[in-house]
Amino acid sequence: MTNLAVKGLNKRFGGLHVLKGVSFEIDGPELIGLIGPNGAGKTTLTNILDGAIKPNSGTVYLNKQRIDQLPPYEVARAGLGRTFQVTRSFRRMTVLENLFVPALALNRGHSREEIAQKALEVLEFLTIDHLRNEYAQALSGGQQKLLELGRLLMLDPEIVILDEPFAGVHPRLMEVIYRYIERVNGAGKAIILISHQMDSIFTLCRRLLVLNYGDLIADGIPDDVKRDPAVIEAYLGADEEESNGEQGGRAQS
Amino acid sequence: MKKHHTPQLAGVALIAFFALFPFIYSAGDYDYIMHIAITGFFYAILASSWSMLAGYAGQFSFGHIGFMGVGAYTTALFCHYLYLSPEPTNICTEFLIGEQYLILVNPIGVTSSTLTQDCLRQALSIWDGSVQITPMPVWLGIILGTIMGGIFGLLIGLLVLRLRAAYLALFTLGFAEILRATISAEILITRGQAGIELPHLFDNGITLFGHAFTRTDKLPPYFAMFFLLLLCLGILAWLAKSKFGLFVRALREDQDAAAALGVNTTRYKVLVFVITTMMAAAAGAMQAHYVGIITPNNLFLLQMSLVVAMAVIGGVENFVAAAIGAIVIEFVLEMLRNSFDIGGITVDMTIWRLVIFGILLMLTLRFSRNGLILPLIEHFTRGHVAKETVAKRAAGASS
Amino acid sequence: MEFSYIFWWVIAWMIFWALVGSFVTRRIYLHRDLDTSNATFVGSMLGAATGPFGLAPLWMKSPDLTNRFVVFPALGAVTLIAAAFAFADPSNNCVANGSFVASQIVNGLIIGIIYGFMALGLSLIFSILGVVSFAHGEFYMVGGMITYFATVVWFPGLNPALGILIACAMTFALGAAFERMFLTPMYEGKIERPVEYGILVTFGLAFTVQYFVQAVAGANPVKTQRYIDFPRLRWPSAEDPWLVKSSRGNMELFDTVSISNPRFTAAVMCILVLCALLYFLHRTWTGKALRAVSQDREAAAIAGINPDRMNMLAFALGGMIAALAGAMLVQAFSWLPQVGNIPAMRSFVIVVLGGLGSLPGAFLGGIIVGLVEAAGTGCIPDAQKAASYIPAYGMIVLTLTLLLRPTGLFGRRFASGTHGKF
Repeated sequence: MTNLAVKGLNKRFGGLHVLKGVSFEIDGPELIGLIGPNGAGKTTLTNILDGAIKPNSGTVYLNKQRIDQLPPYEVARAGLGRTFQVTRSFRRMTVLENLFVPALALNRGHSREEIAQKALEVLEFLTIDHLRNEYAQALSGGQQKLLELGRLLMLDPEIVILDEPFAGVHPRLMEVIYRYIERVNGAGKAIILISHQMDSIFTLCRRLLVLNYGDLIADGIPDDVKRDPAVIEAYLGADEEESNGEQGGRAQS
Repeated sequence: MKKHHTPQLAGVALIAFFALFPFIYSAGDYDYIMHIAITGFFYAILASSWSMLAGYAGQFSFGHIGFMGVGAYTTALFCHYLYLSPEPTNICTEFLIGEQYLILVNPIGVTSSTLTQDCLRQALSIWDGSVQITPMPVWLGIILGTIMGGIFGLLIGLLVLRLRAAYLALFTLGFAEILRATISAEILITRGQAGIELPHLFDNGITLFGHAFTRTDKLPPYFAMFFLLLLCLGILAWLAKSKFGLFVRALREDQDAAAALGVNTTRYKVLVFVITTMMAAAAGAMQAHYVGIITPNNLFLLQMSLVVAMAVIGGVENFVAAAIGAIVIEFVLEMLRNSFDIGGITVDMTIWRLVIFGILLMLTLRFSRNGLILPLIEHFTRGHVAKETVAKRAAGASS
Repeated sequence: MEFSYIFWWVIAWMIFWALVGSFVTRRIYLHRDLDTSNATFVGSMLGAATGPFGLAPLWMKSPDLTNRFVVFPALGAVTLIAAAFAFADPSNNCVANGSFVASQIVNGLIIGIIYGFMALGLSLIFSILGVVSFAHGEFYMVGGMITYFATVVWFPGLNPALGILIACAMTFALGAAFERMFLTPMYEGKIERPVEYGILVTFGLAFTVQYFVQAVAGANPVKTQRYIDFPRLRWPSAEDPWLVKSSRGNMELFDTVSISNPRFTAAVMCILVLCALLYFLHRTWTGKALRAVSQDREAAAIAGINPDRMNMLAFALGGMIAALAGAMLVQAFSWLPQVGNIPAMRSFVIVVLGGLGSLPGAFLGGIIVGLVEAAGTGCIPDAQKAASYIPAYGMIVLTLTLLLRPTGLFGRRFASGTHGKF
C-alpha cells in the first residue's frame, strides 16, 4: 500500500520562507488536489518531494524509506514520478526514445522487445502512436504533455505528481489526460494533481490540500475546503498581492 | 518499413578505401600524403570523441586537448625516465625487479652542458657498451597514457558535475591552461618548451607479412592510427546504440527531467567524461610516439579550436560525421598551404587558410547548425521517417 | 625554500580539515534541521583556518551562519597560508623585503583595476545577452593592434588619443556587425542550445580574428611609445624627495613603491572610463534601458525597450571596453596576435569570481586576481617558473570559486539553475 508521509518541511530561499512546516500523509490510491495561489510553494513542494532540491528541515518517507535526502533519480526509482509545469520532453529525441529512457533507467530486467511493446501500447493509449518516430520537438504543446504522461506510464511509479497537466491543452487531448488519471488511479497508484483549473480539481479529487505562502492552510474533502474561511481569504486576498506572488514563483522555479 | 542500407554500405566503402589507400596510392609525395592521413586520423579520434562529449552528452568541454596532452606526456615521461638494465648503475634510483633493475633516471632539465648528464648516461659511459639497457615498450606507455587520461577525466568529471554550459566551458578551458602552464614551468622534469623526445611508434622497425619496415616508414603508423580510430569509432557506435547513448542524450536535452525519470545523471555524466578523455589520451599518446616529440605548444588553444571546428563543420551531433569532417578538413587545410602571388603581393596561405577556416566555422554554425556532413547522413538514415509520418498524417486526416 | 616541507604540511593539514569541515558541518546542520545553505562553505573555511579547534565548537553549538562566519574564516585561512609561507621561507623577497611587498601590492592593485575593467566588458555582455564571449581576448588584442597601426603605421605621429578613439570606434563597429550577423538567431528561439551556440560562434570569431590579424600584421611583436610622460616631480623637496619622485617613465612613492608610467596611465584611464560608464548606465535613458534588459527582458520589452537593440549595444560596448584596455596596454607590453589569450582567460576567472553578470563583482574580482597574481609572481622563488605559472594563478582562484561558491561574490544563481534562457 502506497504511503507518503511528509513531516514539517521547511524551505528558505535566502530571506524568502517558501515552505513553513508542511506536513501531510497520503495513504493508498488517493487522488489529491494541491491548490494555492501563485507563489504558494506548490512547485517548491513538488521539487522537494522529487529530490530536485533539499529541504532545510523536515522529512519525507515513501513506503517507510526516507527520500528527502536522495537524489532525484533514486527518488524516481523508489517510486515517485512527476511531470513539470513547463513541459520538458527530450526535444531532439524521437517519441519512442523518450519512452525508452525511464524504462531502461529502471532496469527491471525487461528485454528490449518487451519495452518496445509496452511503449507502443502506451503511445496508442495516449493516441500519439502515429508520431512515434518523430522528434519530440515536432509535437504540439498538448502532445508533448501526453508524451510526458507516457514517460510516467513507462516509469510506473507508486505516486505521481502532475504539475498543471491541463494548462493550454486542447479539449480532445484533455479527455486523454482524464483517461490517463483513471487508468493510473484505477491501478492503485496515488496521484497529486496541481492545477489552477478548479472545476477539474473539484470533479476529480476527493481530497484537497491548500497551500498559501508556505502554509498548509487546509486539508480535507473538497466541500469542506470550499467553505473554509482561511481558503476563501487566501483566494480573495490573492488578487492584490498577485505581483508578490509572481516574484515568489520565479524564485522557486 | 523498408530498411535503407546506404549508410552502412557507405561506411564499409570508406573503411575499405582507407585500408587499401596506402597500397593504391604511389605518387612522389607518398610520405607526405600518408603523414596527412595519419594526422587526419588523429584529429578524427579527437573530434569524434569530442562530439560524443559535446554533441551527444551536451558537455561542451574545452579541455579535450588537455587530456590529449595528459596521454602524450604520460607516455613521454614514462619512456624518458624509466629503463630496464641487467646491471645496477649505483648512481640512479633503482629497484630490483626479477632479473632486471628498473632504473629511474634523474631529471636534469634542459641543458647543453655535457657535464650534467643524467645518471643513466653517466653509467653508460662508464660501462662503455658492456651493458645493454632496455627502454620501456611503447605500447605500455600508450596504455598508461590512456589510463592516466581516464583518471584525469574522472577527476575533472567529478569536479564539473554541478557546472553547466558556460561554467563548464570556462572550467575545462582553465584545466587545459593550467596543464600547459605546469608543463611549461616544470622545465626540470618536462623540459619545458624544448619538449620531450619519444621513441618512434616502431622504434626498431617492424616486419609485417614478410616485409620489413624501418621506423620512418609511414605504413605501420598509418595502420596503427587507423586501427585506433576504428576501435574508438566502434566503441562510440556501440555506446551510441546502447542505453548509454540514450541516457547521455537525455542528459543533454534535459538533465532534471532525465533525473526525474530515474536516470543516474551523475554516473553517466562522469562516465562520458572518462570514456571520451581516454580516447583523447590514447590518440595523444600514439600521435606523440608517431611524431617523436611532444611540446607544450601542441596543447595550445589553437589545437582545441581545430578539434572543435572539425567536429562542428562535420556535424557535432554525430561522431561519424565529426570523424569524416576531421579527415576532410585536415586534407583541405594541408592542400591550401601553397602560397601564391597576386599583383606582386605574396599571400601567405599558411595563415590565410586558417582565416578562411574560421569564417567557414562561423558560417556553418550560423546557417547549417548540423554541420556540413551530418545532413547528408541524416538524409539517408531518417529520410524514410519523414515519408512515413507524412503518409500516416494523410491517412489520419482522411479517416 | 629551505623549510618548504613546513609549508606543504600546513597546506595538507588545511585541505584535510577543510574537507572534514565541509562534509561534517553540512551533515550536522542537516541533522539538526538548520539552514544548510552556507554550511559547506563555512565548514571548509573554518576547518582550513582553525582545524579541529574551531570546528569542534561550531559543531557543538551550531550557530546561525551569518556573514560574519563567512568572511572571517576565509580571511583566517588566507592569513594562515601567508604565515606558513613566511615561516617556511623567511628569506624570501616577499617576506623579508617590506618595500618589495608594498611595491607588489600597489602594482597588483593597479593591474587589477585594468583587469577588472576588461572583465567588466565580458560581464556586461553576459548580463544582457547571456553569452560568454570567447572572443573577448581578441577584442583586447585588436584594440591594441589598431592603436599601434593608427599611430605608427598608417598616420605616423598621430596623437595617441585619436589612435585610441579609432580603435574604439572600429571595435565597436566590429562587435555590432558580428552581433547582427551571428547572434540574432539566438533571440528568436531558433536555436536549441543558445548558450553553447554563443560560446562556439564567439570562439569562431576569436579564431578568425586572431589569424586575420596575424595574416595582416605578421607575427612580430609591436609596441607603441608612451602616450604621456610624467611631469618631473621632486616632493616634498628636491634634495630629499621621499614622498614622490618621478621621471618621465616611472614614479616612486615613499622611496619604495615604483610604478611604471604606462600601467599608471592605463589604470587612470580605466577609472575615468568606468566613471563615465557608470554615469551612462545610471543616468542616461539608454543606460537605464540596458540595465532594465539585464534584469528582466520581457518586462523591459513591455516597457517599450527594444531588447534586440540593447543586445547589439551591449555586445559592441563590451567588446569596446576590452579594446580600450588593449589600447591602453599596447604601450606597456609587446603586442602579438596571440596576446589576448591570457587576458581573456583572466577575464573569465574574474567574472566567475565576481559572479557572472555582476558589474561591481567584476571590478572587485579584477582587483583580487591582480593581487593574487602579484603575490604569485612575487613569492615563487624561481622567477622563470613564476612567470610561466601566470595563467595558473587565476585558474586556482577559479577552481576554488567554483568549488566553494559557484555563484561568485555577487552572483545571481546561474551556476546550476536555468541559465541563459531565451
